[in-house]
Amino acid sequence: MLSLPSGRIAVGLLILIALLAALGPVLAPQDPLATSDNTLAGVSGAHWLGTDYLGRDTFSRLLAGSRISVLASLEVALVALGVGAVPGILSVYLGRVFEWGTLRLADTLVALPFLLFAVAVTALLGNGLTQAMLVTGVLVSPLFYRVSRAATLTVARSQYVEAAIISGASVGWVVRRHVWAKVLPPIAIALAQTIGVGFIIVSSLTFLGIGVQPPAPTWGGLLASDLGYLDYQPWAPLAPALLIMVTVWASNLLADAIRDVSGEAGRAFVDNRRDARTASNDPSTPLPLGGAR
Amino acid sequence: MAVDSAVTVARLRHGAVRTLVTVAKSVAIVVPVFLLATFVTFALRSLSGLSPAHIQLGEEATPEAVARVESQWGLDQPFLQQYWDWFTGLLHGDLGTSWVNGAEVSTLIGLGLGVSVSIAFLAMGIGIVAGFVLGTVAALRRTTWIDRAITGFVTIVSVMPAFVVGIVLVTIFAVGLGWFPSAGYVPLAEGFSPWLTHILLPAIALSFDVVADVARQLRSGLIAAYRENYVSGALVRGLGGRRIFFVHVLRNAMGPALATLGLKFPALVGASVVTEWIFGLQGFGRFANDSAQAGDVPAVQGVLVVSILMVVGFNLVVNLVLARVTPASQRGV
Repeated sequence: MLSLPSGRIAVGLLILIALLAALGPVLAPQDPLATSDNTLAGVSGAHWLGTDYLGRDTFSRLLAGSRISVLASLEVALVALGVGAVPGILSVYLGRVFEWGTLRLADTLVALPFLLFAVAVTALLGNGLTQAMLVTGVLVSPLFYRVSRAATLTVARSQYVEAAIISGASVGWVVRRHVWAKVLPPIAIALAQTIGVGFIIVSSLTFLGIGVQPPAPTWGGLLASDLGYLDYQPWAPLAPALLIMVTVWASNLLADAIRDVSGEAGRAFVDNRRDARTASNDPSTPLPLGGAR
Repeated sequence: MAVDSAVTVARLRHGAVRTLVTVAKSVAIVVPVFLLATFVTFALRSLSGLSPAHIQLGEEATPEAVARVESQWGLDQPFLQQYWDWFTGLLHGDLGTSWVNGAEVSTLIGLGLGVSVSIAFLAMGIGIVAGFVLGTVAALRRTTWIDRAITGFVTIVSVMPAFVVGIVLVTIFAVGLGWFPSAGYVPLAEGFSPWLTHILLPAIALSFDVVADVARQLRSGLIAAYRENYVSGALVRGLGGRRIFFVHVLRNAMGPALATLGLKFPALVGASVVTEWIFGLQGFGRFANDSAQAGDVPAVQGVLVVSILMVVGFNLVVNLVLARVTPASQRGV
């Protein structure tokens, strides 16, 4: 995917953001928690992005807050991957009961308004970011379930897999040898999308003050405190908002780049409908994949 | 004449049967979903370990007092018995009483539902209209600068979370220009324009996500549909561009965009938590957030059940429309 300019931009931006997450707290020029009398100051040499209502340096808080936001969205994506992809592949092989059960489970999770659920469950289960990310990961896992299931289905019905099974290959061997290769690209796409989605959810939760204790800075939390002082600093929400949007954009861009590079394998579940119609005159249901959000 | 009416009756009957079959199929999917979702919702109390005793008596209550309060709320019953009582209550529209103030949860939710539903549907409406226009124009002018401009715009829109858009809108239009009130809600009964001005900004904030997805799906759907043989056939038969678009292409291209709407609705309901906070609205999402932070489990459960009902109901409607517009999509279910 580095062969595409968009892929290079996406990877570059994501590396930058990862660096920010790794080094941000160290790079912060001032103590992000230190208050001062210089409240709601404008942009200056000492305070590159001004100060907030307690006189804390906004730029330092922004840098220090990057780690929580980035780590949490990665956690969402990995939880969703683990919870969704494995049953998605297995649903094709483990018989009708398992298939029916996991399909209904996926339907159920999709039907839950997930931000509402994430807020409710996190607040009730102890208000920690780890709980929040676990819950959110489970709630967005149907994307991985559907994607890996759809890809596995197309492989399972292909002739070379039939040939392998006829010549005596075991299910485990088929999955390792053939299914992985077809399932990985769509999963990589879903992973990139989910990081973006996770980022939006993490920012929304921290914006509401859920999952973090007050003095700790997060990008969402910065936005929330800016909201109360729009009369004095109408430009203040700009920096955290831009950071959030750039991160989400970069992960979407990465998803598109992987899709373009992986070609048919990645696009399989999107073009399925057309291929099926032209091939066998049997239009299947449009898969409700959409954007992950 | 008699033959004509017989044909009409047969057609109507066929349509009605088809609708019923769709409804039955959808319900068959919806019922297990609803049961499972309510079970998860109910299990939240046990998982959270929260108790009304701590809210009413404080942290230093004696074990006897805690046990007394818990038995008042029926929490000393076996788990499945509690679930059954709660669930039969749900079926009668009884969502239980709040641990915090003892009011009926259904009444409390009813107070905020008007705001949230107004905003969600307005957002949906804005999203459909704007997404439809953008997607159609981009598809009809594909590979021109118009298409590229729209695609770029849609990309930007799609990465803006509702709460970021909300903050920007408040900053510019409410605080900066003063065109709109920055907080509060006025019911529709007190006049259309005050109602609209109070909910327009939050609805726009929520609609961005819908706009982006509808525009994208419709654009790719339309482009794919224009490549089909029936379009060449219609052209050869000398049909006009407008007729081909509305009668042949649009109908076949709409499926994925419609299906997206069904998926977007939960996101709209969920995002109300954040937008209502920004716009100072006492709606459904705000109530959910406040109750959750206060540890008021029955209220949270009530909110979640109502939101699941709304989502399930909306998806039922979307499925019916899908079955009507693209009958082929139903064969695979």
